[in-house]
Amino acid sequence: MSEATAAAYAIAPRERSRARSLVGDAGAAWLLTLPAIITYLLMILLPLAGVLALAFTDYEFGGTSFRWIGLENFADMLKDRTFMASIRNTVIYCLFVVPLSIGIALLLAILIEAGARGRAFFRAVFFLPVVSLTVAMATAWQYLLHPSIGPVNAVLRGLGLGTPNWLGSSDWVLVSLGMIGVWENVGFNLVLFLAGLTAIPRELYGAAEVDGAKSAWSRFALVTWPLLGPTLLFVIIITMTRSIRVFDSVQTLTQGGPNNASEVLLRTIYQEGFHYFKFGYSAAITLVFLAIVLAIMLVQTRLIDRRIHYG
Amino acid sequence: MAGVSVSAVSKSFGVTEVLKDVSLEVRKGEFVSLVGPSGCGKTTLMRIIAGLETASSGMVTIEGRDVTNIRAADRDVAMVFQNYALYPHLTVAQNLAVPLVMRRLSAPQRIPFFGRFIGDASAQFAAIAEETKQTAQMLGIAQLMDRKPAQLSGGQRQRVALGRAIVRHPRVFLMDEPLSNLDAALRVHTRAEIVALHRRVGAATVYVTHDQSEAMTMSDRVAVMMGGEILQIASPEEIYLDPIDLRVAAFIGSPKINALPAEADDKGIVTVDGLRMGLIAPTRGPVTFAVRPEDIMPASDGIPARLTHMEFLGDCALLHAETIANKSPVICRIAPDQRPRVGIGEPINLRPDPAKSFLFDGNGKRVRATLAKLKPAHV
Repeated sequence: MSEATAAAYAIAPRERSRARSLVGDAGAAWLLTLPAIITYLLMILLPLAGVLALAFTDYEFGGTSFRWIGLENFADMLKDRTFMASIRNTVIYCLFVVPLSIGIALLLAILIEAGARGRAFFRAVFFLPVVSLTVAMATAWQYLLHPSIGPVNAVLRGLGLGTPNWLGSSDWVLVSLGMIGVWENVGFNLVLFLAGLTAIPRELYGAAEVDGAKSAWSRFALVTWPLLGPTLLFVIIITMTRSIRVFDSVQTLTQGGPNNASEVLLRTIYQEGFHYFKFGYSAAITLVFLAIVLAIMLVQTRLIDRRIHYG
Repeated sequence: MAGVSVSAVSKSFGVTEVLKDVSLEVRKGEFVSLVGPSGCGKTTLMRIIAGLETASSGMVTIEGRDVTNIRAADRDVAMVFQNYALYPHLTVAQNLAVPLVMRRLSAPQRIPFFGRFIGDASAQFAAIAEETKQTAQMLGIAQLMDRKPAQLSGGQRQRVALGRAIVRHPRVFLMDEPLSNLDAALRVHTRAEIVALHRRVGAATVYVTHDQSEAMTMSDRVAVMMGGEILQIASPEEIYLDPIDLRVAAFIGSPKINALPAEADDKGIVTVDGLRMGLIAPTRGPVTFAVRPEDIMPASDGIPARLTHMEFLGDCALLHAETIANKSPVICRIAPDQRPRVGIGEPINLRPDPAKSFLFDGNGKRVRATLAKLKPAHV
């Protein structure tokens, strides 16, 4: 040890006690958390407060003044057919995408996990849609689902089945967008499920077998399903929030059409705010959106968490 | 009648041969330990008996029934896993009930809530609850029935794992290092409990451990495994007093047996460092002379050595020495009052008891020596 470090060691405790006496333990703790607190205030709470305030005004972008109009924006929503359509469509989209993408991902994950080889390959294949840009892939979807020249309808025609106008008819557009949503989410959920599956101790399957769980189904019910609980909860929350936030596929493929049949919540916010510059109204819809997301997360963590073992 | 019989079982994982032509017979109600260093294949052998692993060749029978190609669930074996493998989401009561529920109820009857209304499910559940309660009482865990495994101590989890294994009275009881996760004091205590439990249950038991003291204290017979083979299977006394392989002699007993390079001359007279050991070997040439620490003593004449270390253990003392000729380490266990007045690093003579010494050939196989009529003396 050099003399300098020896001196530093000798001084250090005194320095430390001086610093502590200056601000105290709690003070030091606050001091250290300060950067995070400031960032959080500036980046999250402040914009949120801004949105909150805007939601009760009639402010329009570029306007020189605004009025406080109380709950008028929210009252307008109830009369706004576009908004009601976007709520309805978002709910339908979620009801379509969430169960399907979770179910398919779970099935694929179990098949891949059970398979002897090709794990990394299949994982990569199914994860590809997650890393590919929806906007870029939209072109491919547009082509695939084209009513007259698209390969999907060519196959259907070959099978003698009907050829719906996938993105152009109000009956089919949500189904088409839903399928694209499933395609986008399956890979992500699959990787999460695979991680959850590998975390299940192998010994439990041995124990289940010795205990008489003969069918694959009974081993699934006894071991896999319950032990995937924490993963499943996480996957449900992630998929729900991801599908409530659906925007880019709608914006690039249908622009909410035809006739608002694929109008979704986020696109309405975008339209009102950045197209019609009705910032006040847009902020009010954003609040509704946030309330829905928060409510979902609250219900899920409260209800499901209680039944899940994390030990 | 054999409870479990394993005949000529081999197992390979790819090119690695884990078990080589292993045969083992466990009688009904017998407690047999498989003991050996890690990687010797003991757990694989147990998993083959359980049916969790299939043998590459050979046959396994349970009470006379060929189960080689029968899956674990149909073999009527129970197993305690090293990490207990309790279902973490189920309570103790539910964990104990799993083997009974799986066997007695149909798949629809096992559906939560609704299943109870199908057929006799409700009566079955009542019977199962009664049986699990009895098992829990027997193991002293009845007050823990509503807890989840995460809320239990290591010893309690271990009991639940034991309970889950015995609750349905299996023909064969397999235990894979069940005590390795317990602290030392609890381990000694649980050892005795498992033996008592085995006497009550009376199933053929195979117990895997790497701890020779567990194997020696608990078993009717001990099978010492090394390198995928069973080297010797015999009672603990026989394993200790009459090992047939140098590796068995070295593995069993603590401190380890002293093994010294020796020579059998053309009359078979065995010498260590030129000193006659009082044994006549049937073979000629180099052999290994082995003697347990308690069977070699400091004496006025004997193998010349140098004292390197002395340990006082209360009831005995251990002398650590190395021979002058080729620096082989030797340990003697002596009564504390027989400690020699010799300082560390000073010479000491060590005299083995020829009647309790063993000879092994170049391959480590036991060679039966006869006692020489002459007293051991310098050549």
